[in-house]
Amino acid sequence: MTGRIPRPGRWSVLAAAAFTLAGTLTACSSSPDEVGSDAKQTIRFVWWGNEDRAAATEKVVKRFEKEHPNIKVQTEFSGYPAYVQKLTTQIAGGNAPDLLQLDRPTFGEYQQKRQLAELTPYVGKTLKTDGISDSLLAGGEADGKQFAMPAGLTTQLFVYDKDLYEKAGVTVPEDGWTWKQFATDMAKVQAESGRAGTTDFGWAIDWFESWLHQNGKQLYTSDRKLGFTEDDLEQYWSMLASMRQKKGVTAAEDTTKMDGSAQNSALVAKESGSEIAYDSSVTSYVSTYQGKLGYAPLPSDSKTESGMAALPPVYYGIAKTSSHKEAAALLLNFILNDSEAGKVLGTTRGTPPNSEVAASVCASATGADKETCDFQSKVKDRLSPSDTWLWPSGSSAVKTDFQRVYDDVIFGKSSASAGAAKVVENAKQSLGQ
Amino acid sequence: MPTIAQARSKGERAEAPVPEAQARPPRRRRQRSGAAYVFLSPWLIGASLLTVGPMLASLYLAFTDYDLFNTPRWVGLQNFERMFTQDDRYWNSVWVTLKFALVSVPLKLAAALGVALLLNKPRRGTGFYRSAFYAPSLLGASVSVALVWRSLFGSNGVVDDFLGIFGIHIGSMVDQPRYALLTVIALAIWQFGAPMVIFLAGLKQVPNELYEAAALDGAGPVRRFFSVTLPMITPVLLFNLVLEIIQAFQSFTGAFVIGSGRGGPSDSALLYTLYLYQRGFNNFEMGYASAMAWVLLVVIAIITVLLFRSSRKWVFYAGEGTR
Repeated sequence: MTGRIPRPGRWSVLAAAAFTLAGTLTACSSSPDEVGSDAKQTIRFVWWGNEDRAAATEKVVKRFEKEHPNIKVQTEFSGYPAYVQKLTTQIAGGNAPDLLQLDRPTFGEYQQKRQLAELTPYVGKTLKTDGISDSLLAGGEADGKQFAMPAGLTTQLFVYDKDLYEKAGVTVPEDGWTWKQFATDMAKVQAESGRAGTTDFGWAIDWFESWLHQNGKQLYTSDRKLGFTEDDLEQYWSMLASMRQKKGVTAAEDTTKMDGSAQNSALVAKESGSEIAYDSSVTSYVSTYQGKLGYAPLPSDSKTESGMAALPPVYYGIAKTSSHKEAAALLLNFILNDSEAGKVLGTTRGTPPNSEVAASVCASATGADKETCDFQSKVKDRLSPSDTWLWPSGSSAVKTDFQRVYDDVIFGKSSASAGAAKVVENAKQSLGQ
Repeated sequence: MPTIAQARSKGERAEAPVPEAQARPPRRRRQRSGAAYVFLSPWLIGASLLTVGPMLASLYLAFTDYDLFNTPRWVGLQNFERMFTQDDRYWNSVWVTLKFALVSVPLKLAAALGVALLLNKPRRGTGFYRSAFYAPSLLGASVSVALVWRSLFGSNGVVDDFLGIFGIHIGSMVDQPRYALLTVIALAIWQFGAPMVIFLAGLKQVPNELYEAAALDGAGPVRRFFSVTLPMITPVLLFNLVLEIIQAFQSFTGAFVIGSGRGGPSDSALLYTLYLYQRGFNNFEMGYASAMAWVLLVVIAIITVLLFRSSRKWVFYAGEGTR
């Protein structure tokens, strides 16, 4: 029955109840938290991502197990939407994994629901943070305490098919596009090649966030409120509407399936010639795309604000209910700071967070890893610090709602202004404003 | 389960003027009913623990605000109020589900009856065909088939290429609001095997004399179908109709997978259960989701009762004689 999706409703509640029971039982029977003892411990480590990330992570876990024969690591991974649903059910059922991968919305969600263990007691002991910059660490802080560790460093980028652009006679301007130039060039790519210049990027709130920063605004304010207005979003979506009209961006039916994964990417399906993405996805683009890829900064009208920030692509957290926190912290430290582990992981979660490891990884990097390193060093001076890019609890729902409403807009069910009003109204509700 | 009913009501029944066989059950029979309970116990325990318990829990949750992490907070009728008066997506999901049920159920039953009529005639290889037509019913609920469906109707899928031969270019049907629900309906109709098998059993029960008599009176095949076959299988038709309507209202997997878990482009394939699932597991609103589940249960119950009421007008039971 592996292929079947569990039916929702009472069965799920029941499953959750069964898990609770199982969780209590296992919690009672597990030995006290001692890494030094001979007692064998099993910890669970979960993440989401594409195949390349999974392969590298499994390898690192094997290496860790060899170094710590008394710790066994069970791994689970899946696509993003399934991951969040499963993890939430597991946590609610008292069967949380020990070490878990988080992103900005889920970090906010779980931290504010008090499901993450405070890492401060481990910092400087099991968990070394010397090599990690403060601005990156700040992303995992809440109320002045460390609750999660950055898994790497990533930034937004524009990834495009080099040959296609060359044939269409479009070159990336030396200091990046302005939005107006960009719109013209994307339509030109379509006219010359028949493929939309770029994937319609209106679906992801992440890229809207970049645009907001270019206009001196933020997606969320530091007191966890909405940082933009209806007018901002209307202006942004109208810009995209005119690009769509000139076929510079993909048609609605190619845009609607976008979810950030390589398998649903319009660029990978060759429906478009480029895409806005995080550079932590470069490895998966390179392994799935047939053709030669180039990388450029995001278009921006501002000279000082590039719309790109030094962000942790994902975080790692330890579940509050974990009975093997010490062992989980040991694994976490290995993943973050071991130079051999860093080499295996490469840039599958952005460049390594530990700057020494990052330097050595980038020095010997090849292929996709090298592209990521090169891009980051090229735009290093233009990245803004991450502290104005934090997402609060409720932002997860805002992100889903944003894409849903955009579907209505591109399929003509709703105007850009009505859609923008809807997003703002729902977002305020989700954020408890 | 007449044995249980009899065992329970043995006391009152003894005085009542009922046929002798029922009034005094022989000894052996009584012992057997005790054994029946033993054999039924796994099911009874399962039903009470696994179904009734969680159902009562969800009834309680329907009146609470519950996010899975914190203890449920009693909010009275607030969930229902929000659902009926403020939630556009809720009404959209109701509308989508109605469209789904109204189109898929009649077409599925028609397909099932049509194929059953063909397979009812004695000819070589019927056994093979029966299995072949039944197979989709076994496979259809699985995720893998829904994934195949997605790629069949997706961009550069077989269906798009095939239509291209005739100069029709639709593109990816699963990614367009106009067609997404149609692909989900097509998947549902394709699984007509289960009602087909039941229809076949019903067709076998129609006495041959009736056909012979009708043929003697000069009735052609069409007349024979409408005047003999159809009235004779109305009980089976009612059974299939009730079953399929309930199933249509609970349909989930196909729409979940074909619509990438989001309910299709622009909520065009957002079936009721799918929206319920999103509320519960994406938005962590278990109270709201439970309220939705109970509304669905009540609606299905009402529809079933109405169907049974109407059946007095159109269902013919052979035992009743003429009327």
